[in-house]
Amino acid sequence: MGPLSRFADISKGRGVSLALLLLAAVLLACALPVQAHALTTERFTAKSNQDGADGIMGATDTRITWQGQADADEQLTSVTITLPEGSALPTDGTTVTVLDGLTRLNLPSTVTEDGTSVTAAFEEPTPAGTMVMLELNNARFPAEGGTYSVAGTYTTADGTTADLPDGGKTIQVTGTTPQEELASWLGDQGWVQAWNSNKFLHLFFDPTIVVTTVPAVFWGWLLALALVAISFPLAIPLGLCWSFLRMAKNPVSRAIGSTYINIIRGTPLFLQIYIAFFGLPLLGIQMDNFVLGIIVLVMNSSAYLAEIFRAGIQSINKGQFEAARSLGMNGAQTMIFVIIPQTFRRVIPTMTSEFILMYKDTSLLAAVGVMEIMMYSKTITAATGNVTPYIVAAFFYLVVTIPLTKVINVMEERLVSGRPKHRRTNNLPEKTPASLSGTVAAVAAEGSEAAVAQTMRMSEGFSHGPQAIASDSLYAKMRGKDV
Amino acid sequence: MSEPVIRIQNLEKTFGDNTVLRDINLEVNRGEVVVVLGPSGSGKSTMLRCINRLETPTAGHIWFEDVDVCDKHTNLNEVRSRLGMVFQNFNLFPNLTAKKNVMLAQRKVLKRSAEEAERVAIARLEEVGLGERVDYKPSELSGGQQQRVAIARALAMDPHVMLFDEATSALDPELVRDVLGVMRGLAEGGMTMIVVTHEMGFARDVADRVIFMDGGLIVEEGTPEQVFDNPQHQRTKDFLGHIA
Repeated sequence: MGPLSRFADISKGRGVSLALLLLAAVLLACALPVQAHALTTERFTAKSNQDGADGIMGATDTRITWQGQADADEQLTSVTITLPEGSALPTDGTTVTVLDGLTRLNLPSTVTEDGTSVTAAFEEPTPAGTMVMLELNNARFPAEGGTYSVAGTYTTADGTTADLPDGGKTIQVTGTTPQEELASWLGDQGWVQAWNSNKFLHLFFDPTIVVTTVPAVFWGWLLALALVAISFPLAIPLGLCWSFLRMAKNPVSRAIGSTYINIIRGTPLFLQIYIAFFGLPLLGIQMDNFVLGIIVLVMNSSAYLAEIFRAGIQSINKGQFEAARSLGMNGAQTMIFVIIPQTFRRVIPTMTSEFILMYKDTSLLAAVGVMEIMMYSKTITAATGNVTPYIVAAFFYLVVTIPLTKVINVMEERLVSGRPKHRRTNNLPEKTPASLSGTVAAVAAEGSEAAVAQTMRMSEGFSHGPQAIASDSLYAKMRGKDV
Repeated sequence: MSEPVIRIQNLEKTFGDNTVLRDINLEVNRGEVVVVLGPSGSGKSTMLRCINRLETPTAGHIWFEDVDVCDKHTNLNEVRSRLGMVFQNFNLFPNLTAKKNVMLAQRKVLKRSAEEAERVAIARLEEVGLGERVDYKPSELSGGQQQRVAIARALAMDPHVMLFDEATSALDPELVRDVLGVMRGLAEGGMTMIVVTHEMGFARDVADRVIFMDGGLIVEEGTPEQVFDNPQHQRTKDFLGHIA
């Protein structure tokens, strides 16, 4: 801050009066060990190094230019520019230019580097009153960013050394994250440059964009996970309620249930999102986007789950209802302790599919500004004109959906194969010896037909449920009866 | 003799245009074993299912221990808990072990404590010869074992009457014997039973009374000796002749 305050002192002294100027000059002369010089900093800039924007980022190659105007009687022998702590020295040399008016002078100079300082020393002092420019090619500001003004010293022909005035010129440097540093490092690698020279690979799989996109989209991924992690457990009980309404014996309840289910399933989720996000504010209902997103997802998914549960419940063998009722259990007990536990086992694969659907459907919320996966990648793609962020988004969806799909396959296999009992009863007709008496044969034939029918229905599991559901009129029958 | 525990009067049941039962009248006394015979579609099972109201009669009355089963205000769950039923296809709860199958209704309907329900479950499973299998799932048991679990499940409710609906029809012939053995033991123990079956030997040995049904009517009724050895109706003769 020293140079700045001295500069302020000077301007104030000049502006007031001659007497004050003299006083100031005296004071300055006393205050400074060296005589005040009049070299001024005309320019201190850096070249933009940000993709798709004109900012200057830390820890990224840039060209830093300093330009100073020597006073009419000043001859310079060297100029030292000291970059802020944490900067990297130019990797591509420093260009030194001396201009006398519009004439470019060819003055030999040597550039030395020390720490974060670059010194240009002239073999011959520069002519008085010239303009000196130093361009530090491919230097880097510190990663954390900040506002920097020039620092350094210069030496004149008479051997005095003074600090460079900053001339009020500053460079605004945007801080960079480690992944941006990694991206810029990658950008320097030969193989990355070769990779990106292919237009397709560059547009869809640019490694430098991958490394900057992944951490950003990660936050959207967490949000999408939070959306489903909250919505899905809420949708399950609501879905059960809808399925019960749908199967109720009371025609009004049934109408409410089926109307809701049909409307939700008959319209796109995208439309439902628009109605909720644009309709509710018009009604004066203000709600957090995240909360509203959850509400829409829960309402939507519960309708689909309701049909899954209904099909699941109706696929349970009627004998299960009869057995429970014959033991004296009432309708609710039968549902809660006998039917629903079996239904859940059966519908878990289908429910998992519904979970996957809901997870993918969170992407639609990007359209109304929920900051999930699509929103982040869309923003980055818009800024870079590169498709890579969408590919990254795809990765974030797949990392959840592919393992879940595998899980579903395993569960379905278990559902179909894990019932040795039924394979046994299925064998009944073959195991009945043909030589048996008419009684047993007749009995076996009559009994086994029903047993096999039941067996098939149960071992088919849920995936082949519709026929079983259609043939299963018992539930409706029981509904029309008691309790 | 003793008082009737079940009285069926003018029972009719139709499914749409299909009349399954027409004017059934029957009384079953306490401790009596009634075996119901008849061809498929004769209405035997439907009659049984009307008694515990798994089917709602179209007309007529059924009394169980002086409770009108057909009355709208009757607490059916209470009636059913005292009327054990065993099904052709066992209908065990496939997600529960044998013991849990037997415990569930005790806990939920009779409100027994977990300890008591478990004690009763194990005792009943031992009675049907499955003391070693209490922790097996239905899928790990043979058909005969499953049916015996189903009998234990019904017995655990301390029923006053047991209804058997073709309890051995879905079983492998060599497994039938075990189930019939359990049923025989129950009969000897004085349980009131209505047994729909095709097992003639069982009917002859165990039944106090045999009923032959055809076309939704009780065609013939009498002791096993009367019905098997001296059937009065041609239809009964044909049926028994065909079977024998």
